[in-house]
Amino acid sequence: MIEARNLHKRFGKKVTAVEDVSFTAEDGVITGLLGPNGAGKTTTMRMLYTLVRPDRGTALVDGVDVVQRPQEARRALGVLPDARGLYPRLTAREHARYYGELHGLSGATLDKRVDELLDLLDMRDIADRRTEGFSQGQRVKVAMARALVHGPRNVLLDEPTNGLDVMSTRSVRTLLRRLKDEGRCVVFSSHVMQEVAALCDRIVVVAHGRVVADGTPDALRASTGKDSLEEAFVATIGTDQGLMQ
Amino acid sequence: MSGLSFSVFRKELKDHLRDRRSVLTSLMWPLIGPVVFMVMFNLLASWYRQDRPLALPVVGREHAPSLMAFLERYGAQLEAAPEDYESRIRAGSLDAVLVVPDDYAESYSAGRTAEVQLVVDSSRQSARQSVLRARRLLEAYAHMLGNQRLYARGVSPDLAIPVRVQEADLSTPERTAAGLLNMVPLFLVIAAFAGGMQVASDAMAGERERGSLEPLLLNPAPRSAVVTGKWLATVVMAVAAVLITVVAYMLVVRRVPLEDLGVKARFDAPAALGMAAAVLPLALAVSAVQVWVSTYARSFKEAQTYLSLLMVVPMLPGMVLALSPLQPKMWMFAVPVLGQEVLAGEVMRGEPLGALPFLIAGASSILLTVVSLAVTARLLSQERIVFGRG
Repeated sequence: MIEARNLHKRFGKKVTAVEDVSFTAEDGVITGLLGPNGAGKTTTMRMLYTLVRPDRGTALVDGVDVVQRPQEARRALGVLPDARGLYPRLTAREHARYYGELHGLSGATLDKRVDELLDLLDMRDIADRRTEGFSQGQRVKVAMARALVHGPRNVLLDEPTNGLDVMSTRSVRTLLRRLKDEGRCVVFSSHVMQEVAALCDRIVVVAHGRVVADGTPDALRASTGKDSLEEAFVATIGTDQGLMQ
Repeated sequence: MSGLSFSVFRKELKDHLRDRRSVLTSLMWPLIGPVVFMVMFNLLASWYRQDRPLALPVVGREHAPSLMAFLERYGAQLEAAPEDYESRIRAGSLDAVLVVPDDYAESYSAGRTAEVQLVVDSSRQSARQSVLRARRLLEAYAHMLGNQRLYARGVSPDLAIPVRVQEADLSTPERTAAGLLNMVPLFLVIAAFAGGMQVASDAMAGERERGSLEPLLLNPAPRSAVVTGKWLATVVMAVAAVLITVVAYMLVVRRVPLEDLGVKARFDAPAALGMAAAVLPLALAVSAVQVWVSTYARSFKEAQTYLSLLMVVPMLPGMVLALSPLQPKMWMFAVPVLGQEVLAGEVMRGEPLGALPFLIAGASSILLTVVSLAVTARLLSQERIVFGRG
């Protein structure tokens, strides 16, 4: 479970990236962080996964404070960050193994875990190829494998389907549903409404660094009095700028 | 903690060794020194070889028959100088030409000081030995004549020499060799810089540039473990480069005609070990500084530029030491880079040093290492470093 509590972050004196963001993402639920570009989604995610220190507020990952005990919080998190660069001279399997080792796995446990992941992500065929020249979809799979190698209870994904073709997008969706069915807490951010609508049990709409709506898709429709989700979003954010693909 | 560092270390090294081209670059660099050394020594030796007869072209040979006879008796091969001897001297195909003016015989017979001209180009190192030999012969001839004239007047030639200068050359053969070998410490230190440069730039600046730094730091491994692992990989390459350089020098010294230069170099196994012991602690410090600098750089390219500039650091003291060796003082050993260059130079010269200078130099390197690693680990928790600066 992830709880964000009044997260606030400024860069320099003028730019306020995140004004005040609070929400709770439950286990066994896919929570979507939806907002136009520049709404503060990535900064919020970075605060959740401990690489950016909030100026005010904090977040708890399974009860662990990300500001006070970042290293412990990272253990409970699997993250697909905005930057998902790979090592071109290492194979897909080596990527997963490296991250597993950094999470303290070794020996037979690590081998088993990596094999499971390669099956889960359907990447047996590319497992022992160097990642140089991988397609976007294959690259995301490698990045997913290394994010999930330690079997985290909480999974954070920053725009996971960005730049992917239809097939890859579908397999990412399948994976997220599967993680949810395993009872994990899944949070992903997106600026693509269809994406969020297709997957999320819960939607947190962020605009100008604040949470402007928080609820199930149905609740959102009901509260705005609009029939389609799209209309509902536009009504919540106040503008359709940056929301369309 | 150490296990995590080792994971990072193993990954970085594996990653780097698969990059054949940059490994070759790192390891070819150290070979430049020994190759330059071999070429230079062979050239020097060919210039200095004494068994060659002195070839001396002469203009106006007919004006000074007794001088010519003297020169030939002492082994000079006289020949008529070509018309364009001046340009040939400048071009280097002639070392020196003796010009006997028309009025030589007249001055000589009248008992005045007769003049001859030795035409040389003093900027040419290769001609130095021939010029020196020619001048010595001419001076010897002048001496002999002067003595004869004094005797003829019943004066002892000793009266004309109130003070005689005798040079006592204290330089041991090892010292003479070191004069020529002074470049070796510089190249050893440069190897410590060149070896790890590629890994260091890739491990930090490259990592961020390709967007893999952020995911890497999401692991629960402490920053210090990540930095230590990357540093260790850099150290391995730097140490490899230094060792390759030492071994290459040992091989080259055996093939170089040092005896022709009248020098005996101390470049046996103990000396090589001593030099390695002098320079290797520096490899730790240099690698740590390189990782630190690379963390600051915005891109791989920028890191390489900074790290190339960093190589100027050993060049400055190294060049000064090569041209005019300093009297070593204790404080010098405490200055990283300078300390190692002085230390390696002393080892090569065969000076007994004791353990203290090694300990001082090693301690200062380790201090620099620890500070650089600590600063780098702190940098990695700064947002502007992790996400890059705008």
